[in-house]
Amino acid sequence: MLLEQIINGITLGSIYAIIALGFTLVFGVLGIINMAHGEIFMVGAFVGVTTTGVLGWPLWMAFIAAIVVTSILGYLLERFTLRPLRGKKGVSHLAPLISTIGVSILLENLSHHIFGAGNKPFNTPFSEISINIGSITVYLVQIVIFVISILLMIGLTVWLSKTKAGKALRATADNLETASILGVDTKKIIILTVVVASAIGGIAGILVGMAFNSVSPQMGLSMGLKGLAIIILGGMGNVKGAMVGGLILGLSETMLVAYGDSGYRDAIAFIMIIVILLLRPQGIFGSKVSQERR
Amino acid sequence: MLGEILNTYYLQIGSFILINIMLAISVYVPLSSGQLSLGSAGFMGVGAYTSALLTIHFDLPIVIGIIAGALAASILGVIVGIPSLRLSGVYLAIATLGLGEVIRVIFVNWDTLTKGSVGLTGIPQLGREILEFARGLGFEPAMIGIKNNQFVFLSIFIVLLTLVIVILWFVVRQQNSRVGRALSSINQDDKAAESMGINITYYKVISFTQGAFFAGLAGALFAHVIGYISPADFSYHRAVEVLIFTVFGGSEVIIGSVFGAFFLTLMPEVLRFVSEFRYIIYGILLIVLMAVRPQGILDANLLKKIKIKRSKGGVR
Amino acid sequence: MKGISRKLFSILSIIMLLLLAACGGNNTGSETNTNEGSSNKDGVVSAKFGVIAYLTGAGAAYGEAITNGLKLAQKDINALGEVNIELVIEDSAGKADQALNASQKIMSDDSITAIIGPTLSTEIFAVAPEADLNGIPIMGTSTTVDGIPEIGDYVFRNAVPESLAIPAAIEKAVERTGAKKVALIYGNDDALTKGGFDVMERTVKEMGLEITTIETYQDGQSDYNAQLTKIKNTNPDLILASALYNEGAVIMDQARKMGIDIPFVGGNGFNSPQAIEIAGDAANGLIVATPYFGESTDPKIVKFNEDYEAEFGKKPDQFAAQAYDGLFIYADALKRAGSADREAFREALAETKDLEGILGKFSFDEVGDVIMNVTVLEIKDGKFIEFE
Repeated sequence: MLLEQIINGITLGSIYAIIALGFTLVFGVLGIINMAHGEIFMVGAFVGVTTTGVLGWPLWMAFIAAIVVTSILGYLLERFTLRPLRGKKGVSHLAPLISTIGVSILLENLSHHIFGAGNKPFNTPFSEISINIGSITVYLVQIVIFVISILLMIGLTVWLSKTKAGKALRATADNLETASILGVDTKKIIILTVVVASAIGGIAGILVGMAFNSVSPQMGLSMGLKGLAIIILGGMGNVKGAMVGGLILGLSETMLVAYGDSGYRDAIAFIMIIVILLLRPQGIFGSKVSQERR
Repeated sequence: MLGEILNTYYLQIGSFILINIMLAISVYVPLSSGQLSLGSAGFMGVGAYTSALLTIHFDLPIVIGIIAGALAASILGVIVGIPSLRLSGVYLAIATLGLGEVIRVIFVNWDTLTKGSVGLTGIPQLGREILEFARGLGFEPAMIGIKNNQFVFLSIFIVLLTLVIVILWFVVRQQNSRVGRALSSINQDDKAAESMGINITYYKVISFTQGAFFAGLAGALFAHVIGYISPADFSYHRAVEVLIFTVFGGSEVIIGSVFGAFFLTLMPEVLRFVSEFRYIIYGILLIVLMAVRPQGILDANLLKKIKIKRSKGGVR
Repeated sequence: MKGISRKLFSILSIIMLLLLAACGGNNTGSETNTNEGSSNKDGVVSAKFGVIAYLTGAGAAYGEAITNGLKLAQKDINALGEVNIELVIEDSAGKADQALNASQKIMSDDSITAIIGPTLSTEIFAVAPEADLNGIPIMGTSTTVDGIPEIGDYVFRNAVPESLAIPAAIEKAVERTGAKKVALIYGNDDALTKGGFDVMERTVKEMGLEITTIETYQDGQSDYNAQLTKIKNTNPDLILASALYNEGAVIMDQARKMGIDIPFVGGNGFNSPQAIEIAGDAANGLIVATPYFGESTDPKIVKFNEDYEAEFGKKPDQFAAQAYDGLFIYADALKRAGSADREAFREALAETKDLEGILGKFSFDEVGDVIMNVTVLEIKDGKFIEFE
């Protein structure tokens, strides 16, 4: 049973990690907690349901569609809710928080109207493929999710440290004004960040749909809150931290259910962050500096 | 005469507006010293459950239950407040949000005491108790020409209104005192404040605990106005809703909280005719407002302008 | 200090003014309404009923099914011409305080005879005592938790309580499968599923079955693998799942993928054709007890299904059917009361006995709870069939 539960935990943890990557990217560059990220993830999942279920497209096209739609959403989010708040005088640092909460309310309720309130099945032949090792069944989807999460983490790390765009992004994250003086097109970089983060959310949406075969408008909130907890756990704005934090949370939730009381499953993420905030506020991987900059 | 004017539906909404004003103030006070607390739903739940359980199981008078509820919340506020003060900005926000969720999960799981998600029924209702008390003194609502249920809601409304006035008076008084100036200097720059000799830990705990107290008070009153509570009443949604009251109305001035709670509680009622779309409208409203007026509807500048206009009008 | 008190005064005066203005406005409105309220046009009794339903938010699907069922019933009743019914629908968003606001709005309108709703048990716990105090009859069509009609004389329900449905389903399932060991899973942060679980646990203990494990899940979760793996390893003969169909269907899907092939027994909220739509073949083996059997060949049910699908473009479920019957119960009481007076209506309603609805014969017991027969169903080959 332990092995099966570990597989369950890694699958869940990988999904948490992918969602947390989106949070951490936006926070790292803009210093903003994007409360709408969970809902963008939910929209990605619905795009998957619609394209594979209703339109009968193959899975890879569903992925592309989800990435395209969530990227557009990401752009709109940046253009209409984040940009107007930037550089204005007297804007409280809470304003982006509220405004993205507005977006999350809007997206959740729009999905209610378009797709209905219930769960939608996400049926693809792909999610039926499984491998039997002894008495344990491993689904291909579970492996794919884990691999994708690792690839995304490595990809993001390489992109941030090696490419020009990535360097510009880090420069922007360090200091927006300095980067802009040094010739970085910060406006473009910010758009790029939010779009990439949203696209990652869209990918996560499809993966969750495939792994758990359920998509509903409410799924964004609970995933979003978990993602939030993870970036605290792993250190805000830290890519590796998001990955490790996600796996830790996924595994500990699963273990709590396996050997403890499943009723407290939702509390564990928050108990963890309360403890970590009191002991090591910068998170497991965070540096002191990132704590100072709110 | 009075009986015709009083409509229980409006009194009921009025009561919820007043409770929400208290909640908005519970966010405003810590915010005035630069602390964003998203734990209001949790503190509210502690106040509500404490008071409800005490009045149900020990037959205590509602007044004592409410006071105990508010105190329980503020004790929790101190316990959480002291270690949390090392955190600032979004970190504190998320830690308090987490606290609220943990409290809710405990309510859900602590079956034997809280009956889990089924919730507590049969909580003594404030207005009905007042009615019985008044009857004990030989007073009948019919004497002033109103029906029993009108009296029930009127009495709740008056009690809440009085409390809100007292709280507002207290907060405004405090703002113009030494404590208030200390808080606002911490809000501006806590390092500078500390170097001026202000004990920031002390003042931060004070304002955080006051926030917890007001939230607990509002929660206890909520329990005795509705007469039924369940953990779902104190979820993340409630915390966000309360935060929005304050930020929407204007987080710089206390009138902002009052206005935000008033407007946003009334709006869903006014928008009942488009009830299917009201949350969509709510979302759009928040986005537009933050883009156009991120400091909230009311701020110090606007209030000054209004004042100038008024005094000009007065001269004429 | 002067400035402060002036500020305070001005806010408060604005609040009071708005409240007064609002009160005044409504009063004129309700006066005109009263005049039309119970007027007898051509000897037909007409009445207005207030409906409180969960129309926005996570559980909006239930409120939608209920209001659709009511609307269809309203059309059919008014077409019969014996009574004339008007519905005033208010949204509660699934929240107790908003449900209470909605009920106050309805109650303060004197032209409204009675209330149908709210959708959730947590809402009716807040609303019913108020309705009872104000002397307006209230009937829940989907509120299945124990202890609701006991709130007061004016409180009724036609929703089959879990304490009627679940034991029937468990008994039949155990009878056929010979199960001795059961595992339980339920949503612990929802009143309906928690209430259902309490009944399940009680029934299991009464029947002397062994409980291998009790697992919970929370609202908004989509991964049940951890709980199911644990259940699988305790080797039960039967899984009792107190879940709403939305979550329940997903739980079954994940269980089947994991190789759990034993039957599931569900509560009221699990019984919906949607469960099959969501879980597909994985839904096979679900056993539920219900008053509503969608695949029934009973002509009344067939007609209801057809009408509903023609009107709203989807299949009805139990919630829609119970709401439909609920309005017929009201219509019948209204006819017997002969007027839209709340008191007369309540008396007539309480006397409802053996009323033939689409769900079968319906009566209220002395506290206003349901007396009716339930059918135990199971899903086999992607269809609900009667469980033998």
